[in-house]
Amino acid sequence: MLELQGLTRRYGDVVALDDLSFTVREGQMFGFVGPNGAGKTTAMRIVLGVLEPDRGEVRWRGRPVDAETRRRFGYMPEERGLYPKMRVRDQLEYFARLHGLSTEDAASAAGYWIERLGVADRAGDRVEQLSLGNQQRVQLAAALVHNPEVLVLDEPFSGLDPVGVDVLAEVLADRAADGIPVIFSSHQLELVERLCEAVAIINRGRLVASGPVEELRASGGERRYQVEVADAATDWTSGLEGVTVLEKHNGRVVLAVEGDEQRVLDAARAAGRVTLFSAVQPSLTQLFRQVVQE
Amino acid sequence: MRASQMRTFDGIKLTARRELVERTRRDRSFLISTLVTLAILLAIIFVPKLLGANDPTEFNVGLAGAASQPIGQVLTAQAEAAGIRINLQQPASAADAEAAVRDGKLDLAVVDGRELVAKAEPDEQLSLLVQAASRAARAQQTLQSAGVDQAEIQAALAPPPLPVRSLEPVDEDARSKRTIATVAVFLLYGQLIGYCFAVAMGVVEEKSTRVVEVLLAAVRPVQLLAGKILGVGLVGLIQLAIIGAIGLAVAVASNTITLPPDATGTIGSVLLWFLLGYAFYSSMFAVAGAIVSRQEELQNTATPLNLLMIASFFIAFSSSVSGGGDTTLAKVSSFLPPVAPLIMPLRIAGGNAAPWEIALSLAIMLVSIVAVVLLAARLYEGAILRTGARVKLSDAWRSGRRQPATGRA
Repeated sequence: MLELQGLTRRYGDVVALDDLSFTVREGQMFGFVGPNGAGKTTAMRIVLGVLEPDRGEVRWRGRPVDAETRRRFGYMPEERGLYPKMRVRDQLEYFARLHGLSTEDAASAAGYWIERLGVADRAGDRVEQLSLGNQQRVQLAAALVHNPEVLVLDEPFSGLDPVGVDVLAEVLADRAADGIPVIFSSHQLELVERLCEAVAIINRGRLVASGPVEELRASGGERRYQVEVADAATDWTSGLEGVTVLEKHNGRVVLAVEGDEQRVLDAARAAGRVTLFSAVQPSLTQLFRQVVQE
Repeated sequence: MRASQMRTFDGIKLTARRELVERTRRDRSFLISTLVTLAILLAIIFVPKLLGANDPTEFNVGLAGAASQPIGQVLTAQAEAAGIRINLQQPASAADAEAAVRDGKLDLAVVDGRELVAKAEPDEQLSLLVQAASRAARAQQTLQSAGVDQAEIQAALAPPPLPVRSLEPVDEDARSKRTIATVAVFLLYGQLIGYCFAVAMGVVEEKSTRVVEVLLAAVRPVQLLAGKILGVGLVGLIQLAIIGAIGLAVAVASNTITLPPDATGTIGSVLLWFLLGYAFYSSMFAVAGAIVSRQEELQNTATPLNLLMIASFFIAFSSSVSGGGDTTLAKVSSFLPPVAPLIMPLRIAGGNAAPWEIALSLAIMLVSIVAVVLLAARLYEGAILRTGARVKLSDAWRSGRRQPATGRA
């Protein structure tokens, strides 16, 4: 388990992180979301030891993380960083060596990831000669090349075309299947919802929600129902206490319901022939808006 | 503990090796700068020689009329002593001689032993030689006609040269040692300024491309800094060695300098002081790079350091020209760390640095290197991740302590 415990970090008077704690299990795909400036990058930098927290600590497999352990972490910073003039293969081998691989292991790992991420024909080129999409693939390879125990990726999907997104998603799922905790931040919430088992939502440096996506959706705020009543008067919901109409079109309504939902069904049946009555779970985007605006 | 110490050196070694490989094998600018410096050095060696060759060492002199003939023999002998060759010609008449001079076939003509004919202003050296020869010839004739014995005439006209007594011991090698040291200080200054700036540019490159964040996830700031300084310095040293070896070989082969017996000592001391100077300056240049985020801004922060280096170079160079490093300025600045690496090799080569001066200068140098490197490491750590506006040194100092490198293992 990767545990972030009570991380606090200030920049002068600005509190970037305020007592942030959450846990990522091994083999879990974990989404880290929050508005711009919420503290995601600061938190990730602290996990990687690039930045020191004022308070709190990061634990991996029950032990505080030190520099030695961190060399077995993989990191992709939000602002991509590669040597523009260095050749792709040289660069990947160099990063692998820095993370402690032997010369031979570094060479074979670099070869594997160059192949796997589809940049084999550019292996001998300088990074600056590659398209941005390909540079991003090399950047990902740099995070993966030493076969890390933990993967931390800051906005890995931004700037990728749909094919690139699929390749990256597949690679990450693959790593997670190998038992590696994969934590990544993203503003593409549909993607997070699709890929991640669990998420943490932070705002202004504080954790506002965390846990498995399903649980969050199930427990998130008021419950919603989609109801379709044939031949009914359009205002059959008026007069129902604790019920708000969120959407309405072609006789179908989406309702936010507080308390017992059976009375809503009764009212619907009284109004006409009920052709649809189902619970709707809020999307991660809706949850996000809700918790961030609170 | 031992394992983590080994890793520390691994990190330094790997980053240093990257600098070495990328800069020498993968970057053509190393080859180009080596060739350019070598070309400049060879120009320094050969240009005086070529200019010297333009100083004429061969003249055509015409002797017109019987009265001019005795001058010929004396002239040839004296010119030979001065390393000048005279081709004597015998124009048939004064008019012929004049015509030959006008055409440039003769540099000077002696007409009937009475006058010298030149096209315009005669070559100063040649005219001195001919005048002296003519005086000697006339004196010989006068003495001969007065019936003086031939041996006596010889003794009177060609007395042995006066012996020279030097008040101080003459070091036959001092001149070539100083030549080597002066050229070396020029080279050293070029390498120092070039490679210190390369360190600064390398730091900015890592910062502006943000690759530093990826690196710092694997190595600590001090390792990165140390690796860069060592790697770039090694490239500079290799280049210095290549240029020095070729330059010296060419200079010796072309007889521009004669190699003094302890030339290795002089060259060794130059290399030693290069390393000390590089250690002193490079970490400060790294800080100049770490506090800015773009290459363009580097000019501003590196300027004070450049000025310091230029000033030190001029102090060293001017004292080597005047008085061979024996002036008060030279003595005092031997103990100033920014100047010492440039001036000490000159003073040592010139033989006017006392052993205690060398020892004290070295000691001051080493202590200040340790101080500067520690200071620079902390400033570097405090500034390297802060992008955007130029980082104030005081801010860098304060946050330098919070980085993991100082606290954790």
